[in-house]
Amino acid sequence: MIPTGEATIGPFFPPRFVDAGANDLTQLAGRKAQGEVIQISGCVRQEDGEALENLVLEIWQPDAKGIYRHPADPRHAEADADFLGWGRAATDQEGNYAFRTVRPGAPAGRAPHVDFMLMFSGLMRILKTTLYFEGEAANGADPVLAAVPAARRALLVARREAPGKYRFELKLRGEHETPFFDD
Amino acid sequence: MHTVIAPRDERTQPARIVPGYPQTPWRNPREPLVRRVPTLSELTGPLAVAPRLELLGGDIAGHGAKRAIGQLMHLKVRVVDEDGAPVGGTVVEVWQANGAGRYSHPNDDDHAPVDANFYGAARLVTDDTGAFELRTVKPGAYPVPTRDGWWRPPHIHFSLFGRVWLSRLVTQMYFPGEPLNAQDRILNAVPDAAARERLVARLVSPTGEPHDALVFVHDIVLRGRKATPTQP
Ligand SMILES: [Fe+3]
Repeated sequence: MIPTGEATIGPFFPPRFVDAGANDLTQLAGRKAQGEVIQISGCVRQEDGEALENLVLEIWQPDAKGIYRHPADPRHAEADADFLGWGRAATDQEGNYAFRTVRPGAPAGRAPHVDFMLMFSGLMRILKTTLYFEGEAANGADPVLAAVPAARRALLVARREAPGKYRFELKLRGEHETPFFDD
Repeated sequence: MHTVIAPRDERTQPARIVPGYPQTPWRNPREPLVRRVPTLSELTGPLAVAPRLELLGGDIAGHGAKRAIGQLMHLKVRVVDEDGAPVGGTVVEVWQANGAGRYSHPNDDDHAPVDANFYGAARLVTDDTGAFELRTVKPGAYPVPTRDGWWRPPHIHFSLFGRVWLSRLVTQMYFPGEPLNAQDRILNAVPDAAARERLVARLVSPTGEPHDALVFVHDIVLRGRKATPTQP
């Protein structure tokens, strides 16, 4: 069967769908996940530089040991029971989003990374990208980062602005445009 | 369980930049999208988001004195993968305008009336057969505030998760026989006529239930097939 066609979320995605706490991955049902707590934040802008409000972001990542909470991960039985690996946030009036999570471990053959999805009015298709961490030696050997043209790779590397605090700016189009994946 | 994700037939998916939808040229990448071979990261995904997202149920029409204004409808949706296998236990989010074409949203400053008995957001989980049911009122059409404004036909928005990151889907469902369908810039952004037709629900005769509502059925196909044992 052929997959159903995508469409924009439009301008009226219910605010209620961005549940309080959905951007905090560090706990599940009141129990704390293992690992180093980090914050990932940034601003989302369109081509003319305007910051975008009410844009919805979702992230997916493995736990601190690099294990995904999903049966396709061969190590899935050892996954942190208190870490779901998924979260949702929306940008505020200044276009800023923030997630609290734990620093992901490296899945087999990959550098530590966090997958992102962006959904918004005017985006007919979900935009998908991937965050890498500044200073990770394994970035140089990551096959997904290597698929990005060399001159644009740095745009996927989140800047460490303080211990445990990362900035990941997202530009949908134009100068410093974030690399997005065709998948 | 392993999932295989094949590239999509682009004709069955909407264009990213839509003439007459003025935000699209500013918000969609200019650079070519980067091809990547799916890794474990994209071939896994959140299977149980319910702990993060409060379930709201699928009955949003209200009852008795609190019933929403409009044509009551039952929608029966089946969610399957590319093998046609049911996708059970996945969270579905639904949102729509009220019977007059107005959203319960601070950004909707249209003049159509708000309905105090209609918020217009459901969140539920598919059953083992991939099915879910929505009891709602049929949404009204509404104007898009662009310079050469057009009207969105009645439609319902869906967000679904599926089994892996790449099966995530945001889509819209339309109604049969609506004259506005032919002019809708969002529906018609999908080039393939058969793919557009699959976005339109079917009206069916109610069987074995009270004749108090229109009954529509609709299928949603999420990306992904089960890996066959012959695969390396
Ligand atoms: Fe809408």
